[in-house]
Amino acid sequence: MLEVKNLKVRYGNLTIVDDVSFSINEGQWLMIVGPNGAGKSTIIRAVSQGAPYTGEVFLYDKKIEEYKPYERARIIGVLAQSNYVNYPFTVREVIRLGRYAYAPGIFSRQSEEDERYISEAIEMTGLGSLLNKSVLTLSGGELQRVFLAQLFAQNPRILLLDEPTNHLDLLYQKQVFALIQDWLKTPGRAVVSVVHDLSLARAYGRQALLLDKGKIKALGDIDEVLNPKNLDMVYSMDVYAWMRSKLEQWR
Amino acid sequence: MIKKQEGFRIYEYILFAGITFLVFILCVSVGSVSVPLKDIFTIIWNSVWGIPIPETIASPSIILSVRLPRVICAALTGASLSLCGGAMQGLLRNPLADGSTLGVSSGAALGAAIAIAFGITMPSLPFAGTMVMAIVFAFVSLIVILTLAYKMDFSLSTNTIILIGVIYSMFVSSILALIITFAPDKVKHITFWTMGSLSGSNFDNALVLLFALVIFGGGIVLHARELNAFAIGEENALHIGVNVKRVKLLIMIFVSGLIGVCVSIGGSIGFIGLVTPHIVRMITGPNHKRLLPASLFGGATFLMLADLVARVLLNPLELPIGVVTSFVGAILFVYIFYTSRRKTHA
Amino acid sequence: MKNRKILILLLCSFIVVSTVISGGCTKTSNIVPESISSQTPTSKPTHEAITEIKDTAIKITDMTGREIVLDGPVTRVVALTPSDCEILYAVGAGETLVGRGEFCDYPQEVLNVPVVQSGVNTNLEQIISLKPQVLLMNTMAQTEEQVEALEAAGIKVVVSAAYTIEEVYDSVSMIGALMNREAEAKAVIASMKETFAEVSAKASDFVGKTIYFEVSPLEYGLWTAGSGTFMNEIAEMIGLKNCFADVTGWCEISEEQVLERNPDYILTVAMYFGEGTRPEEEIMNRKGWENVTAVKNRAVLNLYNNELSRPSPRLADGARMLFDFINGTAVKD
Repeated sequence: MLEVKNLKVRYGNLTIVDDVSFSINEGQWLMIVGPNGAGKSTIIRAVSQGAPYTGEVFLYDKKIEEYKPYERARIIGVLAQSNYVNYPFTVREVIRLGRYAYAPGIFSRQSEEDERYISEAIEMTGLGSLLNKSVLTLSGGELQRVFLAQLFAQNPRILLLDEPTNHLDLLYQKQVFALIQDWLKTPGRAVVSVVHDLSLARAYGRQALLLDKGKIKALGDIDEVLNPKNLDMVYSMDVYAWMRSKLEQWR
Repeated sequence: MIKKQEGFRIYEYILFAGITFLVFILCVSVGSVSVPLKDIFTIIWNSVWGIPIPETIASPSIILSVRLPRVICAALTGASLSLCGGAMQGLLRNPLADGSTLGVSSGAALGAAIAIAFGITMPSLPFAGTMVMAIVFAFVSLIVILTLAYKMDFSLSTNTIILIGVIYSMFVSSILALIITFAPDKVKHITFWTMGSLSGSNFDNALVLLFALVIFGGGIVLHARELNAFAIGEENALHIGVNVKRVKLLIMIFVSGLIGVCVSIGGSIGFIGLVTPHIVRMITGPNHKRLLPASLFGGATFLMLADLVARVLLNPLELPIGVVTSFVGAILFVYIFYTSRRKTHA
Repeated sequence: MKNRKILILLLCSFIVVSTVISGGCTKTSNIVPESISSQTPTSKPTHEAITEIKDTAIKITDMTGREIVLDGPVTRVVALTPSDCEILYAVGAGETLVGRGEFCDYPQEVLNVPVVQSGVNTNLEQIISLKPQVLLMNTMAQTEEQVEALEAAGIKVVVSAAYTIEEVYDSVSMIGALMNREAEAKAVIASMKETFAEVSAKASDFVGKTIYFEVSPLEYGLWTAGSGTFMNEIAEMIGLKNCFADVTGWCEISEEQVLERNPDYILTVAMYFGEGTRPEEEIMNRKGWENVTAVKNRAVLNLYNNELSRPSPRLADGARMLFDFINGTAVKD
C-alpha cells in the first residue's frame, strides 16, 4: 500500500531523517520507535507532505505527489501529536471537516454518505454527548478523541499516527489504541504509528522500525526488532533490565 | 442524529439584512445638513423611477450626489474590510489578524501613494493605476509579513504576528511620509492614507467597490470550508485534503484585491476588519460559513455608523473616519489581546 | 513577562502614533503641507520692530520679543520659512540668502539657493557649515534646544510670527531693519496698503456675497480656511463673507455643508501641474454641485502659488487677483 524509498529530510545542514526505506501492507501495524530526536515524527510529517524531503513515497505504486491533496486524503489520514485549536468550533464541526476530501469543490454539498460516516465516527469514539460543545472546553484526551473521530470520518485506508497518546492519561491511551486496533480489523487498512512507549508498541504492533539518529537500526517483526542487543545500543542502556525492574514495582 | 445545517439560515440572512437596511435608512436620513425624512424618500423614490423631483424640495443633490453614494460606499467598504479581516483571522488562526494590524493596508496605501507621486496610470482607466499599485503592494506586504513571521516563529503565534505587523506598519509609514515629503503637492494629506476618508465618494466608487466585493469577496465566501480547516490548524487542513498552498495563495490574492481597492478609494480605515469579525463571532460562532456572511452585514452596519459619527459629530467639521474606527478598534484590540493571552496562559 | 511588556509598549505607541496623525480640525502643520501652512492662528505676539543703528551695529527685537544685536551689516542669511524668503527678496536682500528651507519656492531665483533641512529634521551642522550670521525662521520651525545650539555656534536666530496682515507689516519692517533696508521695507508696506485699499474700495457692491475657500480637493476630503486665516481676512477686506467663518483655521468640513451654504464664489488653492483636469474644472464638474451658485456662474478661481496662505507681501497680489476675478464676474452678471 505504502512504500517509502530513500527518504531524507534536512533542516539546513542538519539531517533529521537519513535514507529511510520501508513499506507497509494491508492489515499491518508498523510501530516506529526510537529515542527522542531520532526523527520518528519527521518521517510521519514527510510522508503526509507536511515537510520537505528527498526520496520517493509511493501509494499503491503511484508517486504520492501525483495525487491531488483530496485524493491523498482519501487514502492517508494523519493524527497529529497534539492539536491546539484557537477558536470555539463545536465538536461536530471539527469531525465534519473530515469529510472534506469527498467534496473538495467550492460548490460541493454534504451527501448522505458523509452523514453516515460522521455518525459512525461519533459512535466509535463515544462523543455523542459532546457534539455541540466547543472544542476549547474539552480536556486533552477528549480533544484527541475528536480528531480521531475526524480521522475515522475521513475514512482513509492508511492511518499515520504521531505519538497519538503522548499527552493522554492511561485510560485514554488504552481507549485510543483499542479503537485503532478495532479499526484495523476491517480488511484493506493499515497503520503506521510513532510510539514513544516501548511497552505500548509491543502490545499493539506487529511490525516495528527502530530508528537511531535518523537512520534505520532495525526493521521487521516487532519481537525481532526490539531485541536486547538493538535496544541497548540505541538507547545506551539496558532497556530490558529497566523494563523488568519497573514491572517488579507492580508485583 | 438530527442533521444540522452548518451555514447561514434564511431567517438569519433576513434578520442581518434587515438590520443593515435599517441602519442604511438611518444614515441616509441623518447628515450634516438636515433634510426632512419625507423629502428624502421623495427624492430617492422619484429618482429611482425617473419622476421629476418637486421644486419645493431644496437641494436634492445633497442626498443624491453626496449622502447616498457616501453611505453606500461606507457599507461596501465596511463589508469588504470585515470580510478580509474574517478571512485573515481564519487563515492565520489568529483573532488579532487584520489588514490594519498586519500592515497590509499601510502597504496598499504606500502603493497608491507611489502611483500618484510617480504618475503611474493606465491609459484607459484613470484611477486603475492607483488601484492596481495598491493591490500589488497589499499582496507583496502580505507575503513579506508572513515570510518574516514564519522565519521568526513557525507556529505564527499572536505575539510574533502583532510584533511584525506593528514593525512593518511603522516601516511602511515612514516610506509613505518620505514620499509625501518628496511630492508634497501631489500626494496630499497623510491623514487620508493613514486614517481614511469617505468624503467625496460617488456612485462610480460604489460600483468599483461592488465589483471588487462580488469578485474577491465571493472568492473568499466560497472558501469558507477551507478557512474553517485553516482556523482549526494548517496541519490538520493538509491532512484532511485541503490544497493548502493553493487555497492560501487564493485567499491572499482575494484579500489583497479587496484591501487594495478599498484603500485606493477610502484610504486605510483601520481596525474595522479586526472588530467586526470578532463581535460577529460571538453571535455566529467561528464557523466561516456563518461568520463570513454575518461579517459582511456587520461590517457594512459598523462602517455606516462610524461614518455617520464622522460626518455629524463636529458638524460642520468632519472627522477622518479612521479616527472613529480606530478609537473603537484600539480599545477592543487591547481587550482581545489581554483575554486571548489569559486564555493561552491558563 | 518581559516580552509581554515590550509588546504592550509597542502596542501603545502604535495606537498613540495613529491617534496623533489623526485629529479633526487640527491647528498644526501635520495635516496641511508645510508649504501652505505657515499661517495658523495660535498666539499673537505683536512686537513692533525697534531699530537703532549705531555705526554698523544692528539692534532689533524679533517677533517673540527677543532682543538681537548684530555687528552688521548682514551679508549671509539662512531663511527656513517661505514667507521670510519672499520678504528678503521683496526688500531687495535676496542675494544675502545662502540657505533656504525646503518649501521656499518664491521667487524663482530662490530655487538656486542651497536647501537646508528644517523642522524636526533640522540638520544643525548643515546650517552651521553655511556660516550664516542670521537664521530667519518662524515660531514653529525649530525647538528651543535647536535655537540654543545655533546661538552657541554664533548664529543669531531671528523669529518671525505673523498671523494677520498687520503682523505681516511688522515682519517686513523687522526684516527690513535687520537687512538695513528700511526704506525698501517701507515701500513694500506702502504698496501692500495701497493694493488693499484698492480692493476694498468696492466692498459695498458685494454685500451678502459669500465665498468658499477650498484648501484640499474633494478626493482627499474637503478642507477649508475658516476665520483667523489670511484668506478670511482678505475676503472680509474685499467685502465678501467667508461661508465657513464659523470654523477656525484650516479644517476638514462636510461636503453637504458646502452645498447647503451655497457660496457665490469659490477659490481653490489646489495645485495644478499642467496636466489633467484643472482644479476649477474639477470643482465645476462635481456631481451634485451643479446648483451651487458659484458653479452655475462659473465663478471658481484657482490660485495655486500660495498667494493667499503665506504671511508675505504677495498677499496683496493674491487679494488683487481675487478682487479682479470677482469684479470681473460681478460685471459680467
